Amino acid sequence: MAAPESVVSSRPSRFSAARLRMAARLILRALTAQGSRIGVAVGAILVGAAVISALTSLYLDISRKMSEELRAYGPNMILTPHASEDEDVAVRGVDIATVQAALDVLPADRRLGSTPFLYGMVRLPQGTAVLVGANMQGLRAISPYWQVEGGWVTADFDERNAMVGRRLADSLGLELGDTVPLRADAGTAPAEVTIKGIVETGEAEDDQIFVNLSLAQRLLNRPGQADLAMASLVAQGPEADALAAEVMKQVPALDVRPIRKVSQNDGEVLDRIDGLMALVAGIILVITTLCVNATLTAMVAERTPQIGLQKAIGASNRSIVGQVLTETAVIALIAGTLGLALGFVLAQGLGQAVFHAWVGFRPVVVPLTLGLCLGAALLAAILPVRGAVRVVPAQVLRGD
Amino acid sequence: MAPMDQLAVARTRDAADATPDARREVIGAEGLGRRFGTVEALVDVTFTVRQGDFLAIMGPSGSGKTTLLNILSLLDAPTSGSCRLDGIETATLSEADRVVIRREKVGLVFQTFHLIPYLSAVENVMLAQHYHSIADRDEAFAALERVGMGHRADHLPSQLSGGEQQRVCIARALINAPALILADEPTGNLDADNEARVMDLLDSLRHEGRTIVLVTHNPELGARADSILRLQHGRAV
Ligand SMILES: Nc1ncnc2c1ncn2[C@@H]1O[C@H](COP(=O)(O)OP(=O)(O)O)[C@@H](O)[C@H]1O
Ligand SMILES: [Mg+2]
Repeated sequence: MAAPESVVSSRPSRFSAARLRMAARLILRALTAQGSRIGVAVGAILVGAAVISALTSLYLDISRKMSEELRAYGPNMILTPHASEDEDVAVRGVDIATVQAALDVLPADRRLGSTPFLYGMVRLPQGTAVLVGANMQGLRAISPYWQVEGGWVTADFDERNAMVGRRLADSLGLELGDTVPLRADAGTAPAEVTIKGIVETGEAEDDQIFVNLSLAQRLLNRPGQADLAMASLVAQGPEADALAAEVMKQVPALDVRPIRKVSQNDGEVLDRIDGLMALVAGIILVITTLCVNATLTAMVAERTPQIGLQKAIGASNRSIVGQVLTETAVIALIAGTLGLALGFVLAQGLGQAVFHAWVGFRPVVVPLTLGLCLGAALLAAILPVRGAVRVVPAQVLRGD
Repeated sequence: MAPMDQLAVARTRDAADATPDARREVIGAEGLGRRFGTVEALVDVTFTVRQGDFLAIMGPSGSGKTTLLNILSLLDAPTSGSCRLDGIETATLSEADRVVIRREKVGLVFQTFHLIPYLSAVENVMLAQHYHSIADRDEAFAALERVGMGHRADHLPSQLSGGEQQRVCIARALINAPALILADEPTGNLDADNEARVMDLLDSLRHEGRTIVLVTHNPELGARADSILRLQHGRAV
């Protein structure tokens, strides 16, 4: 040991490895010594972090999932031949090329599906029915809510299979797998189709028979024609209006209308969820902060004698503040990390319950959640830290 | 003058102050007073402690011994008078500066054995090094050996007897080679055997040339000191 005469050596730099090691050891020991109290703080932050990260994950997925859900109610844009007073729209129809040109105006990343429609009457041996020609893949994309017994006609070139509405099938006594001849009044050759699926929507579709557009065009003798088209877009309100206007500008032969009800609901519901999420997250943050504050206050109060002693043997206020804040940050980050893991599981549960879908992992949730935990915990530490600064060693060390 | 500058000045002065007879002044208290509201805990106390001195402060309970020691250790500031510690005027220092000077100049031993309960014996000593400069386990262990506690270095305070804890406190007070060791009734809570051990330890430190101020109301212990400062109602008598 150095002789008492030796003069104090100059202080080494604040961040030498040995200093950090001792500081880390002090914090680790202090934290583990707190045991159950730390447990309470970790628990509070963990629960807050779990709920907030689950809600955030869910929220980030929700706009996509919500609009997918809402689109399940049907297509949200309809394209019809431009109606002028002196023409009978119903018989006029429109070129498939025009329809395709119009659909091509819609940006591919906003378009979930689209199909032209061609309507006409056909006779079956058992009676007559409305024939609907459509691109089967497009039809399926814009009709996710259809209840189909059997299966969809999946290929656009499949002219041997058809789908039949439930009421029509019942009234004509048609069953899955039946093969029926379809005959139109246009003097064209009849076609034999096999019933691959029976459709139930509770709407007009229940009385219709669906075949590929090319087959319908041939039967009805309307080659290259359609009556209208529908599209399903990931677009709401003003954006959908703008898209419709753009299509009409570029393809004046068509009238394009967003189907309002669904599109607008989309936006309103999402806005409401926005607010709800923010409210819930805010409440959770406040509760977490209060809970952590109570725990830290108790922690500092309990450690008053030790804090006094540390000051007496040379700890500056700054190093005491540093210790309390570092302990708080460690608690927050450990709890935040655990909370993230729990939150991801929670998000899956909520996703399954609400959307019947898994919620994706969003990297942005990690810094967001940890940042909020850290922020809330450090906010909660303000008053306890002031308490620690106010500890007067002479008072707590009085032995008598 | 900033405290670190004062330290530098004190160091330069040390070099000049090499005359063998004039031992360096470690404490120079002049007219020290401390008032708590209307209570005059300390009134006009003047004394000097030189390097290597062993001073005992004695007096009945409530006579101001702890108050005086707290001023000497810079845990508290006087409300009147002046106090030089190793050449540095301390009465007017801010609290932050007092911390700096305290960890450089003073080793403290308290009546109750104040150790951090979640740190082992050696870590408690290392903490004082940490706040002073840098923790060094080997040095801390050597200090524990010095007080006969090397074999309990990794025990927690709760695993040590009162006498053992107090010896760890003494090791901690020694570790940074302070100019002054202050002990406030260090044996007040010990049985006779442990009291003897702690006193023998302080004696041997004094023979090593350390400067010690001991508060006690045990006359036997006071008799071991070079000189005695007696307090009564806050006044030196
Ligand atoms: N922080 C304080 N506030 C008010 N009075 C105090 C304070 N500290 C000490 N005193 C008073 O000062 C006097 C001396 O106390 P103290 O120095 O602790 O005596 P001793 O250590 O000799 O027993 C006592 O009357 C005590 O009540
Ligand atoms: Mg006392």
